[in-house]
Amino acid sequence: MRRVALSINDLTVKIGGKEILKRINIEIPERRILAVMGPSGSGKSTLLRAINRLLDLVPGCEVSGRVRIYDTEVYSSDPYKVRRLTGMVFQVPNPFPNMSIYDNVAVGPKMNGLVKDKRELDDLVRWALERAMLWDEVKDRLKDPPNKLSGGQQQRLCLARALALRPKLLLLDEPTANVDPINASKIEEALRGLVESHDITVVFVTHTPYQAVRISDYVAFLYMGELIEFGLTQEIALNPKHELTMRFLKGEA
Amino acid sequence: MAELRELKEKLFLITSLSLAALAILPIFHILLSIFYNGLPVLISAGVDFLVDSPPPPGGGLGGIGPSLVGTFMLAFISSLVGIPLSFASALFSVEFPDNVISRGVRVLSKALLQIPSILVGMLVYTIMVVPMGKFSMLAGSLALAIMMIPYVTTYVEEALENVPKTYREAGYALGLSRTKVVFKISVSIAKRGILTGVLMGFAKVTGETAPLLFTVGKQRQMISLDPLGYTDSISLLIFDFIQTPYANWHRVAWGSALVLTSIFLLIFLATRSLTRRVVL
Repeated sequence: MRRVALSINDLTVKIGGKEILKRINIEIPERRILAVMGPSGSGKSTLLRAINRLLDLVPGCEVSGRVRIYDTEVYSSDPYKVRRLTGMVFQVPNPFPNMSIYDNVAVGPKMNGLVKDKRELDDLVRWALERAMLWDEVKDRLKDPPNKLSGGQQQRLCLARALALRPKLLLLDEPTANVDPINASKIEEALRGLVESHDITVVFVTHTPYQAVRISDYVAFLYMGELIEFGLTQEIALNPKHELTMRFLKGEA
Repeated sequence: MAELRELKEKLFLITSLSLAALAILPIFHILLSIFYNGLPVLISAGVDFLVDSPPPPGGGLGGIGPSLVGTFMLAFISSLVGIPLSFASALFSVEFPDNVISRGVRVLSKALLQIPSILVGMLVYTIMVVPMGKFSMLAGSLALAIMMIPYVTTYVEEALENVPKTYREAGYALGLSRTKVVFKISVSIAKRGILTGVLMGFAKVTGETAPLLFTVGKQRQMISLDPLGYTDSISLLIFDFIQTPYANWHRVAWGSALVLTSIFLLIFLATRSLTRRVVL
């Protein structure tokens, strides 16, 4: 029996008095991939940021409802602790330009005191880079600045940076929107590998229905801040209940 | 038709080129005349020019040692006061943008950028020179620090604001505390911009004259490092010497102008080589 990795109950988010998300309910078991889909402005990114409390940084933001990551009640815990449980990858690759490739991956575990010594850190950095399918490309130039890498490699570096915290839950905001197809498929492969052989659950936002169908187990479809469809990917892809979902899956919305 | 268009384009090119030349002509004129008049002075006075005391009227070249040292001491002490304050207020106003105090910092630092420097000199005269009963290096440094703070604050604010928000978000997403995000990410990414601001502030105060007119006491006979003692600056020496009828003092003033310009250019070049390497 799989445990529930993420459960969201009646989550409502208001920014400046405007409702961005309306009573969202989602529950996914561990080691599964959830794809969040929906047109621009439907609240996908806000949903991700509500899960790891990055929304706390947005002025005038009110959150009600519950979010749980395993046993952690997100909104009654320390936000810094919640963020250490989750890893996040952003839409535009954003490796820290002031740090080397190695330090980009090492910074999270180092600053959060997750490792005892240099050796352990080295192993962790290597592990994260391997999981992000980047190790072979950068192992000889770990001291280089990240701007020497291509955009797709930078995005995989960001994935490695997030993985180095050994998160239970990985959040990705359109991780392949700004990378080429080869890099995109490497990222997809990395995500599949993570849920299959490691104790990680993935939530990712995507614009492309094909990608959702290809790699996700569950799909959530958002429209104007409402969750209009949620369930197993196979079922929704074959038999969408809602007309908007159907149009979106066909690439019309 | 094609010819007319080409003609127009040429006319435009010529006009903008000549206007640009007109605009930079004064700068070249200044630089050239400083080198033309100053270089022979430096060559005939030699290295002693940088250490000796100024000559008596009508006799020899001597040097500008006390004023040169004074210039550096003043810039150094004012930086000691001004740079940490500027850095702290810039950091505060960027990090807490909605706070009333940081809004005040923003408005004031922009307003004080253009404050007439003579007013700063008068202020320090009233609040420091009069109560202490004497001019001092410290009073001059305070005046320069007041000149420097809005300048460096504005520079540092801009450098910090130019750090894209996405890096801060990534830092927070890694569970880093606010202090760590600020220092290990924002400040570290902006460090070259911050350093540029600091160097420009330093360069600015090495050239200031008016704030020192009635604060430092114009002691240019011997090199002194005493913060409570009298001192001098190169700019003050130039200001005084060119107003006299003595030809040798005029030459010393030209030589000093070249020294001051060189200090300026060196700082400027250092800044340039730093800023060119900013890669985001």
